[in-house]
Amino acid sequence: MSAEAVIAGAEIAAGHDGSAELVLRLRYPGGAEGVVVLEAEKGLELMAACGAAHLDELAGHSWRKLLEGACST
Amino acid sequence: MFDVIVRNGLVVDGSGEAAFKGDVAVKDGLIAAVGTVSGPARREIDAGGRVIAPGFIDPHTHFDVQLLWDGAARPALEHGVTCIVPGNCSLSLAPLKAADRSKVVGMFQQIEEMPPEAFTQAFEWSWEDFAGYRDAIARKLSINVAPLVGHSVIRLWVMGEAAQQRTATADEIAAMQDVLRECLDAGAVGLSTSFVDLDEHGRPVPSRFADFAELDALSAVLGEFGRMLQCVPEFYDVDITIARIDQLSELSLKHGIPTTFSPVFDNTSTPDNAPRILARVEEQFARGARVWPQMQTRPIDISFSLLRPSLFFARLPRWVRVLRQPLEARLTSLTDPETVAKMVEDLGPDGGRKMMGGLIVRGGDAAPAEFVGRTLGEIAAERCQVPAQALIDMSLEHGLDVAFLAADMGHENTDRIGPMLAHPLVHIGASDGGAHIASFSTYGDTGYLFSEFVRKSGLLGLEQAVRKITAETADIWGLKGRGRLTPGHAADIVIFDPETIDRADERPVFDMPGEGMRYVRDARGIDTVLVNGEVAYTAGAYTDARSGVVCT
Repeated sequence: MSAEAVIAGAEIAAGHDGSAELVLRLRYPGGAEGVVVLEAEKGLELMAACGAAHLDELAGHSWRKLLEGACST
Repeated sequence: MFDVIVRNGLVVDGSGEAAFKGDVAVKDGLIAAVGTVSGPARREIDAGGRVIAPGFIDPHTHFDVQLLWDGAARPALEHGVTCIVPGNCSLSLAPLKAADRSKVVGMFQQIEEMPPEAFTQAFEWSWEDFAGYRDAIARKLSINVAPLVGHSVIRLWVMGEAAQQRTATADEIAAMQDVLRECLDAGAVGLSTSFVDLDEHGRPVPSRFADFAELDALSAVLGEFGRMLQCVPEFYDVDITIARIDQLSELSLKHGIPTTFSPVFDNTSTPDNAPRILARVEEQFARGARVWPQMQTRPIDISFSLLRPSLFFARLPRWVRVLRQPLEARLTSLTDPETVAKMVEDLGPDGGRKMMGGLIVRGGDAAPAEFVGRTLGEIAAERCQVPAQALIDMSLEHGLDVAFLAADMGHENTDRIGPMLAHPLVHIGASDGGAHIASFSTYGDTGYLFSEFVRKSGLLGLEQAVRKITAETADIWGLKGRGRLTPGHAADIVIFDPETIDRADERPVFDMPGEGMRYVRDARGIDTVLVNGEVAYTAGAYTDARSGVVCT
């Protein structure tokens, strides 16, 4: 089991403002899971930070990639 | 002699009690009699085969600016809405010092997407304090307005630039209390705050710099008046939202005030969120708190164009790679036949029929009028192309400025949403009327309530649905003398056909100042709307009536 939270999966959802948003499922050490929703721009930045061209390629990346994505603006 | 008698209708009086066939008489702007009414009237309206109901109340709008040139808040009124609550999400147009106008205009443009001309050409700034704004809109109202005052503008009034930099001192909090008290005296029905919104520079709005002591102090003032605290919690994270529900509940209990928050919506990707929120609301109501979750009726659509990258394509690797390039490189890729062929391959053997065929061309941009409102599948078939190829070619032919809409992508499961809307602790609202105007239509949620949840699915009864958006809303907000067809109450009345009431398809119009574009939905099945006893809308047209008031 990973020593830190990892991205367990991702889905696209309709956001309140009419844009597509990224719903990330994070799995924490110990097995608990939580959900984080990223707006379109941040979601695309995360995909770029992970080198992902498909949602499924986000799985397994460290939660720290979220920070890289957020720092890239 | 009555002023108006509406005869022979199915009276649904807002109480939730069973409908009955009868008449409603009006005199001096008030309901004068309900039942079988005899005697003459200056005007009689035949409501045979129609419902006579109290006018609908929309508790979450952003019509603050539009009301300065459009006292009907079009098209809200034609949907049967006779009372709106503007000033949500921490933003109102008063109190506002002249020197701070540009800051608040930027915040409004971020939320409402109004063109700049709306603030420079459409009206004259004649006020600074809340009473001045109230008087400015009151002159021409066709619809009733129950305005909130925004926490962000109160903060800006007291703290200036520091409102977006730090927490407030004890003296500043006391000054904010005085300003809030003045606004409530002048007719504000509560205070709105936000933990989410941004200004046009991407900075948190002033309310987000407040600490709990400030919110507590302002809530104490609301308690003096028994008025509402409206809040936008961090809705993207259900755990934080639940923490905010607890915080609002503490304020409600401590100060004896109602509170409400939004948005709350249900998505298949987060199916536990709304049930968890409602469970916490039930727990807090059981403690005596009033913490009303506002839920919208309409589904959420996704819209996009190839001008900007969208997560809509996040399962299509070649599309992701191409669309996240800078514009020039993106255009180069989209005009390269080999690249485009591979992009189309991403969609699989059907060329995107399943994923893209149902997309709707929105209009309001560079899309030719003959395409607007039609599906990409239809247009692609005419062009003898697969949808993915047609989407790319149509976009290229119009400078990429063609918007597509994927309808009903969230909050769309009627079997899940209906029971939530019917829940006694769910406040139907959150329409956002007057906001996001260039992104999607925020009008007609009431029509959709009846067409989808009463008529089509039967998940709410007619009387129940009417009560949820009339008497119940008036009670939650403490709007005295509104929301019921009861003698002595304001004669806010909507006459509608229960078999046809609905919202029409979304369409672009260019009726904002400076010929600015917005998306609207026309009303279906609404015959006549009376506001304070005067006919404000009938037979598909607005009248000259200016009988709306700033109501408390």
